[in-house]
Amino acid sequence: MTQLVDIILSLSLLSIIFSFGSSRLQGLIKALAFQGIVVSIVPFFMGHELSGGDIIFSLTTLLIRGIGIPLYLYSAIEKIAVHRELEPIIGYHGSILIGLLMVVAAMFVSRKINVPSASDSLLLLPTAMVLLSGGMFLMMARRKAITMVLGYMTMENGIYLVGTTFSVRAHHIVEFGVLLDVLAGVMIMAVILQNMKQGAEDPDMALNKISKE
Amino acid sequence: MISILLYILAILVSPFFAAVILKVKAFFGGKKGPPLLIHYYTLIKLFKKGSVYSTSTTYIFKLGPVVSLGTAATALMFLPIAGFSPLISFKGDIIFVFYLLALGRFFTIAAAMDTASPFEGMGAAREAYFPIICEATSFMIVILFSRLSGELNLAAYFSENQPMVLWQNAGAALVFVVVAFFIVLLTENARVPVDDPATHLELTMIHEVMVLDHSGPDFGLIELGSFIKLFFYSTIVARLVFPFDLGSGVANGGAFALTLLFLYTVAGVVESIMARYRMDKVPKFILTSFALAFVATLITLEVIR
Repeated sequence: MTQLVDIILSLSLLSIIFSFGSSRLQGLIKALAFQGIVVSIVPFFMGHELSGGDIIFSLTTLLIRGIGIPLYLYSAIEKIAVHRELEPIIGYHGSILIGLLMVVAAMFVSRKINVPSASDSLLLLPTAMVLLSGGMFLMMARRKAITMVLGYMTMENGIYLVGTTFSVRAHHIVEFGVLLDVLAGVMIMAVILQNMKQGAEDPDMALNKISKE
Repeated sequence: MISILLYILAILVSPFFAAVILKVKAFFGGKKGPPLLIHYYTLIKLFKKGSVYSTSTTYIFKLGPVVSLGTAATALMFLPIAGFSPLISFKGDIIFVFYLLALGRFFTIAAAMDTASPFEGMGAAREAYFPIICEATSFMIVILFSRLSGELNLAAYFSENQPMVLWQNAGAALVFVVVAFFIVLLTENARVPVDDPATHLELTMIHEVMVLDHSGPDFGLIELGSFIKLFFYSTIVARLVFPFDLGSGVANGGAFALTLLFLYTVAGVVESIMARYRMDKVPKFILTSFALAFVATLITLEVIR
């Protein structure tokens, strides 16, 4: 059972490296949808006893995270015809290498941290860390506003994984994850609204400094 | 004895398998395609011809094809074909084999530079750049395999039921290795999406542009060398894809041939449904294979700690 969790988690590790390497918005969203689905099914394979409520909870997050939000984003960018190129601040090759370094660092650090309930899966904590820092990196390294939302979603996937680590004892951390999901949805809405205002062009965050003043 | 026979057989059938790719591509294009023995006809035709040498070339130009065929054929000697023990094997031979292939590449590049044609120089620069990333991938995989089996020779990874042992030790991580190695296969053998062996526009070519000036028997040697090289890489992937030991040698050989056929078909399908990448996208594609191999290594290090 633990082996299976590790396989699933390694897929989500890969998804983050692919998302670092993808140069198209559509590709990034696909990678993220995959990641959302993979992350949401982790609780089923953890080997904990799952009550009916837990299963419904996990399925709901799967629907929101893996299918709902990506589809929504996808249709949104199709509708307003954003430039598909991602305009990276840090290039794709560099991003992939940084992603690999993150994996190494997370593996190294997670050995030092002793989370008792994370001991049944070797990859759970490192993957959560990589998702957290990777989401942060995506926010920093891409210029588009929509990639900030996507980076935030990645981070949130990481938070969800940390939540599952503790989920034996504290269920509401997972609920907290769903709450953040909804928040991300609101952010997406904000971006789209802004888009419509500015006339079918994704706002460049470098230019946003001016509009703030 | 059986190793020697298999080795000769492998060299003899390698052009046949390469033709399978052409057939698959023709099928996707709705065409009948060339006969499956097309490469034999081409080789015979080429060997019958005479060679033309440019006045600007030196002996290095003549050396290139011979060395590239020689290194590919020698590398195949170390590889256990269909799980049978290889002709030669010693501790650490996998590093030797990879550098042998690099030596062949070096001479191809040197011969291309020797023609003093700017187009060939361009192809040579690309050929020198892309396989460097491939090398990183290959050695990452070697590190993983040597960690899994404690050995450092090809025979220990791919003979008898060894691939099965690798699968049992590494589990899912080996899926990544298979994909990564398939990418290396496509790159090293100048297939789509890295290079298109069918184009004849110098600006877009990598491998083909370097051998433009070779003619007759020289070109035949290069072609044969590339078939053998493709066979070499496919054998490795085939052993990983189908790791089962069926008990009898004949059954193993048959299953191995079928797996090879399957792999060449997959390569043909990839070539049919994908376009060649833009030149600056290619390093990213190869870097993906490195990332796969790297993550696989990290995961297995965690699991078998």
